[in-house]
Amino acid sequence: MTAELEAGPAVVVRPATAAAAGRTRGLLMALPPMVLIAFFIGFPVVLAFGFSLGFTGGLNRTIALIGQNVHTAHGIVPTLSAYAEMFTNARFLGDLVVTVVVTVVSTTIVIALAVGIGLYLKFSGGLIGKVLSALAVVPLFIPVVIASWAILGFYSANGFLRSVAAQFGVDFPIWSYTLVTVVIGSVWTSLPFATLLVSSGLQAVPQAMIDAARDAGASFWRVVASVVVPMAGVPIIIATTFTAIGILGSFTVPYFTGPNSPNMLGVDMSNYFSAFNQPQQAVVIAFIVFAIASGIAAVYVWANFRSAKESGAV
Amino acid sequence: MPRVLSRGVVVLLAAVLALFIIGPLAWLAVRAFAASWTYPDLLPDAWTLRWWSVVFSDRALGVAVQNSLFFAPITVLVSAAICLPAAYAFARFEFPGRRFFLIGVFAANSFPKMGLFVSLAALFYALNLMNTILGILVVHVLGTVVFMTWIPAAAFAAVPRSLEEAARDAGASKLRTFFSVTLPIALPGILVAAIMSFLSSFDEAQGTYLVGAPDYMTMPTQMYSLVLNYPTQVAAVFSILLAIPSVALLLAAHKHIVGGHLAEGFQIK
Repeated sequence: MTAELEAGPAVVVRPATAAAAGRTRGLLMALPPMVLIAFFIGFPVVLAFGFSLGFTGGLNRTIALIGQNVHTAHGIVPTLSAYAEMFTNARFLGDLVVTVVVTVVSTTIVIALAVGIGLYLKFSGGLIGKVLSALAVVPLFIPVVIASWAILGFYSANGFLRSVAAQFGVDFPIWSYTLVTVVIGSVWTSLPFATLLVSSGLQAVPQAMIDAARDAGASFWRVVASVVVPMAGVPIIIATTFTAIGILGSFTVPYFTGPNSPNMLGVDMSNYFSAFNQPQQAVVIAFIVFAIASGIAAVYVWANFRSAKESGAV
Repeated sequence: MPRVLSRGVVVLLAAVLALFIIGPLAWLAVRAFAASWTYPDLLPDAWTLRWWSVVFSDRALGVAVQNSLFFAPITVLVSAAICLPAAYAFARFEFPGRRFFLIGVFAANSFPKMGLFVSLAALFYALNLMNTILGILVVHVLGTVVFMTWIPAAAFAAVPRSLEEAARDAGASKLRTFFSVTLPIALPGILVAAIMSFLSSFDEAQGTYLVGAPDYMTMPTQMYSLVLNYPTQVAAVFSILLAIPSVALLLAAHKHIVGGHLAEGFQIK
């Protein structure tokens, strides 16, 4: 149904002996990146989780000694007091709400733009289609630090929009250092990836099905809503989850373009770690963000599973 | 009449998108040549190349450029050596834990980056990796694993088995078949993965800063202090320099990236 049908199922049934040899060889070949991830992501994350629950011994000893305001567990009974501290902290709760709202708003705009561009490419194409898709990919190649800096300047007190408005005697609002630029920056940096995924999914919808729906008398929007978007549903869901997870944990965009407070949790993590020297609180925030990301990730895994089922790979 | 109207609306929307995407970059780029600028003029009061000589004569900035051009290619090579065999295995072999591994790569990617670096700090102190080249390389390679396994895996999976079997039937060895048939067909996908990895390393700032600063500054980490400590124009010049390699890559590989290799890679199979 989607693009992977053309690529064919990734796993092909083969004779038993070859399959057994492939099992060992496949496992050995796949191990190096897995060991890397296990050692440098899995292991530290487990350590950090222990630290967030108050286990300050072993490899956590140094960081617990350096850090301030560390909650310590009694023996082997974990303590949730670091989490309790954060969840009774009004500023953290405000930032949590801001993070979720910025993520939802930015993701919605990104996916709407991506679907719009993808649909235009599918149905009209032409010069405008080419220009649109080329434009949407540009941010992929601009380092986020530069993008944030450029966006901050563009919407600042003496930026382009205010300068143009001033030519007509209009006093345009200052958007720099507000959540508006955080949303703008998040949309700007996330657009290429979502557009590539969504438009490739839309391109894969067979023209014959669209023609059939048209012949049956369906209007253009009916075709879009009932045939094209549902058939490209899996790539759209994948694009949505990746975009949302990326924005949820982002640091550079809110750090450069956002207000001091309230701001997103990525900035709080950095502040608690470096400026406040409270590593345990930084880690607690990381796990709260990760918990939200895991919820989104579950949707991604489910969507992939559904698509694999449709193409017969499972 | 409605057709003309809807075409007008589309052109207008395209223009707004162009302003949204290109506007900030152009606005910043002009600043690199501006002597001074009075609000609300749309162009600078006078033009100058002074800021370029400031950047080129600053030793610290030169070192940052060198460091970035050192770490990015090494990251791509190390990442390719570690991940490409795995990508092939994901595409061609069924082995225990395959699905778990694929999801593991994804889960690793969805842990917030800042939180990961904070967690890594304890381990890096214990292993003496703080302020070392190896430590920075680890951080950079970690950011590329998802690109270097998923995108090539999809590229390998898309190579028709019938072609490989035909080569084998004609008497080619397994290695010969891989290098003469499989690899050339999968190469565009691998290229896209390499470019994404290069950009990810070139763009990496938070982890590099935490692990490397102040001994090893790359262009993005230098950008953090530039923005705070130098005139806007210097940061603008530096931004243009930082964007050159990326834009060159964009022009070289635009076709392959838009051609769906990137999109293909992001569906777990």
